[in-house]
Amino acid sequence: MSNLIETLKAQIIEQLNLAELKPEDIDPNAPLFGDGLGLDSIDALELIVLLEKHHGIKIQDPKDAKAIFASLQSMADYIIANKK
Amino acid sequence: MTAYINGLSCISHHNTIDENYFFENLSTQPPSNKLLATEPVYKEYISAASMRRMSHIIKMGLTAGLMSMKKAGSEKPDAIIIGTGIGCYEDTDTFLRSMSDNNEQLLTPTAFIQSTHNTVGGQLALTTKCNGTNFTYVHQNLSFEYALLDSMMLLNENEATTVLVGAIDEITPSLFELFYRTDRIKKTEDLQSIWNSTSKGYSLGEGAAFFNISSTATPTTQAKITGVKCKQHIENADELIQETDLFLRSCGLQINQISLVLSGNCGDEQMDKKISEFNKKINLPIGYFKTLCGEYFTASGFAMWLAATIIKKQVVPQAILPDSQIVSNIQHILIVNHYHDKEYSLMCVSVC
Amino acid sequence: MSTKVYITGMGIISAIGDSVEETLQSLSDSKTGIGKINYLETFHKDTFVVGEVKHSNNELIEIAGIGNYNRTTLLGYIAAREALKKASINDIKEARTGFVSATTIAGMCTTELLYKDFLEGRNNTNFIDSHFCGVSTNDIAKHLGIIDYVTTISTACSSAANAIMLGARLIKNNILDRVVVGGVDPLSKFTLNGFNTLMILDKEWCKPFDENRKGLNLGEGAAYLVLESEKLVKEKNKNILAQLLGYGNANDAYHQTASSPEGHGALLAMQNAFKVAGIHPDAIDYINAHGTGTPNNDSSEGIAMQTLFNNNVPKFSSTKAFTGHTLAAAAAIEAVISILAIRNSMIFPCLNRSTQMSDLTITPVNTLEKNIPVNYVLSNSFGFGGNCSSLIFSKN
Repeated sequence: MSNLIETLKAQIIEQLNLAELKPEDIDPNAPLFGDGLGLDSIDALELIVLLEKHHGIKIQDPKDAKAIFASLQSMADYIIANKK
Repeated sequence: MTAYINGLSCISHHNTIDENYFFENLSTQPPSNKLLATEPVYKEYISAASMRRMSHIIKMGLTAGLMSMKKAGSEKPDAIIIGTGIGCYEDTDTFLRSMSDNNEQLLTPTAFIQSTHNTVGGQLALTTKCNGTNFTYVHQNLSFEYALLDSMMLLNENEATTVLVGAIDEITPSLFELFYRTDRIKKTEDLQSIWNSTSKGYSLGEGAAFFNISSTATPTTQAKITGVKCKQHIENADELIQETDLFLRSCGLQINQISLVLSGNCGDEQMDKKISEFNKKINLPIGYFKTLCGEYFTASGFAMWLAATIIKKQVVPQAILPDSQIVSNIQHILIVNHYHDKEYSLMCVSVC
Repeated sequence: MSTKVYITGMGIISAIGDSVEETLQSLSDSKTGIGKINYLETFHKDTFVVGEVKHSNNELIEIAGIGNYNRTTLLGYIAAREALKKASINDIKEARTGFVSATTIAGMCTTELLYKDFLEGRNNTNFIDSHFCGVSTNDIAKHLGIIDYVTTISTACSSAANAIMLGARLIKNNILDRVVVGGVDPLSKFTLNGFNTLMILDKEWCKPFDENRKGLNLGEGAAYLVLESEKLVKEKNKNILAQLLGYGNANDAYHQTASSPEGHGALLAMQNAFKVAGIHPDAIDYINAHGTGTPNNDSSEGIAMQTLFNNNVPKFSSTKAFTGHTLAAAAAIEAVISILAIRNSMIFPCLNRSTQMSDLTITPVNTLEKNIPVNYVLSNSFGFGGNCSSLIFSKN
C-alpha cells in the first residue's frame, strides 16, 4: 500500500504538472480537490486517464470520480479493490 | 476615430519588458532566423497553480496583458479584445501528436482545452474578473488590426471606456519546422539587413504586445492611434501610395506630415517587392521594424508598441534605419505592414 | 447609430440538409441528422454518433464548384453562396460589403491527416497554407467577390454569434452597408477526441434539458446571414426575412471550460442583448437555447433563463439534437433556425427529451408546435473561455 501511495504521488505530480510540489508535501488523507491540493475538474479528467494508463482501470462515468479522487488514500483503495 | 494609449507592454525577442532598454548597440541584421521572446519572470504575474497548465503563448499573453493594465493603472478593463494569427499552437501540436502517437486513445484534456484560440482572452477575463465584451480575432496577419478596429469601435459606441487590446503569437519547434520546410524561413547564412536582403524567407518571430486604450487621454497617456485600415489585396506600389494618401486624409493628415514610416518588409525580396518600391517612392524616413521582432502574424502589434515608444522617447533605434539617418521631432508615425504580399494594413500613431 | 439591421438572406448546410428548404423540412418532420459516422476517418467510428453533412469531400467539391478546397472552405462557401442568392444580391460591389466568418478549427480537418508524417519527413503535402483560421475566410470571400471588410472570429462555441454581432455593429457604425456573417466548422478527429477527453460526448443521441443527459453530439456545417442596413433595404426595396434587433456579449469569468453554476455570463449576455434590442423580456415568444446536452451547460443556462425571465420563461428548445453541436457554426445555424421559426410560425422541438431536470422548474418544447405567432426570438451561444453571446431576432 505505501508503495502504491508513493507511486501515485509521483504520477500525480507528473501528470498534473505540479512541478513546485514534492511527494512529501502531499498528505495521503488530505482532500485532493478544493482546500487540500486545490485541484479542479480538469485535473479530475487527467486523473481518470492516469488510472487507465498506469493502472488499467477505466472509470466510465465522470460522476464517480469525485468519491474515488477524494484523497490519495481513497484513490489507492479504489485501485486495489478494482485491480484485475 | 482616435484612441489614446494609456498603458502598453511588449514581450519580444529583445528585452522590451525593461522600460529603460531601447535596442542600443544592435546590428542592422536580424540576430537569427528564429527570434524567440525574452521572457519575463512569469511567477510575478501568474500563480503557480494557474501556471502549471499554461503553454508559452498563454503565459506571454496573460503577463503582457497584466503589465499593460499595470502601466495604465487599471485593474479591470471594460472589454478584452485579442488578435492572434495562429493561436495556441504548442497545445495544438501536443494534442495532434498524442492523437497520432496513441491512435486516438488515452488522451488527456489539458492540451485540447488550452488549444482553443480564445484561451488568452478567457484567461485575462478570469484573472481580471472582467465580465465585459470579449472577442478574439484570428485573421492571420490582420488579426491585431481587426482587434484594434473593434476596440476603437467599442469606444466610439460608448460601450467601453477602456479596452485591453492585444496581439499574440508564438513560435514552437514544430511550427518553426513547418515554416522552414515550406521555405518561409531564411537560412542562417542568408541573414542580412532587411533592406539589403536579396534572398528568400524571413526570420520567424513571436511575441505579445498589449495596449490599454480609451477615447480620452489620461495622465498615463503615451500616444494616440489616429487610424487603422486593412486591405485584402494591393495590386502594386502605386495603389499602396494611393491607399496611404486616402488613409492619412481620413486621419486628418497628409503624407508630408509623417515623421517616420515603420515598414513591414520581412526580408524576402520577392514578397517585399511592392512595399520596397513603395518605400522608395514615398520619400520619407523608413524604419524596418522586423529587424527587431522578426516576421509573424501579429508583428504589427510590436510595430504599434514600437511607434508609441518612439513617440514617447523621441528616439528611433539605429538598428532599424539604413544609413544612420537622424529622425527628430517625431509627430506622426505611419505603420505599413504586409504578410507574404497578400494582405496589407496601415496604422497611424501620433503624439498627444 | 439608430439604423436598423435587417436580414435579407440566409444559407445553411448541416446534418439536416444542404439548404434552407431542406433544413425546414427536417425540422418540421422532427428528423434528426445525427447518426453513425460515415465520412470522418477515426478510431472512434463505431463509438460515437455525430451530425455529419451527408456528403464526401469530393461531392462537396462538385457542389461548390470553386475548386479543390478543404471541407471548411467548401461548407462555408456553399452556405454563404445560398445566403447571397436568397438575398437576391448579384452585384457585390454596388454597396460596401463585408464578410465576417467564425471558425474554431479552420483547416484542422486536413492538417490532422498529414501532420505527423509531414513533420517526420514522410510526406511533403503542404497543408500549412490552408491550416490557419483566416485562410478559409479569405478563400470564401474571394469566391464571393467580397473585399471591403473580411475578418475571422474565434471564440469557441459562441463564435458565430459574435460574427453576427460584429456585422450588425459594422452596419450601425456606418462602416458597411451590408455584411455576410456566420460561421463554419467541419467535423475533425481533433474536436471529436478533444471533447471525448472532457467526457462530455454522449455515445447515443444527445438529450438536451433532460435529467439523464450525458453530453453532446458533435456536428458540422455552416450557415450565413446577409445583414443589410435599413437605408439599403429601403433603397432597393428588399424583401426582409427578419430584423436583428439585439445582441449581447459577456464573459462568465468563472472557469476555462465550465460555466458558472448560476450562469452569470449567460445572464449578462442576455441582459445586454435586451438592452440593445430595447424590448422587455416578456416580448420573447421562443428561445433557441445553447442547450448542448452536457450536464453543466443545460443546468447553468436553465438557471440563467429562470433568473432573467423571473421564472416565467417563454417556450424554449435546443435544436442541437437535430444538427449536433456544430461549434463555431452553431450560433449561425441556430440563427437560421430562429428565423425559420419566425417565418413559419413554428416552434421546433427539443428531441430525445423525456425526464424533467431536477435543478430546473422549466420544461422545453418537446413536440413541434405549429401556427404559433413567433415575433421575437432569443438565441443563446456559449463557449470555452467564458465567452457568452445572445442574439434577438424580430419579425418586423
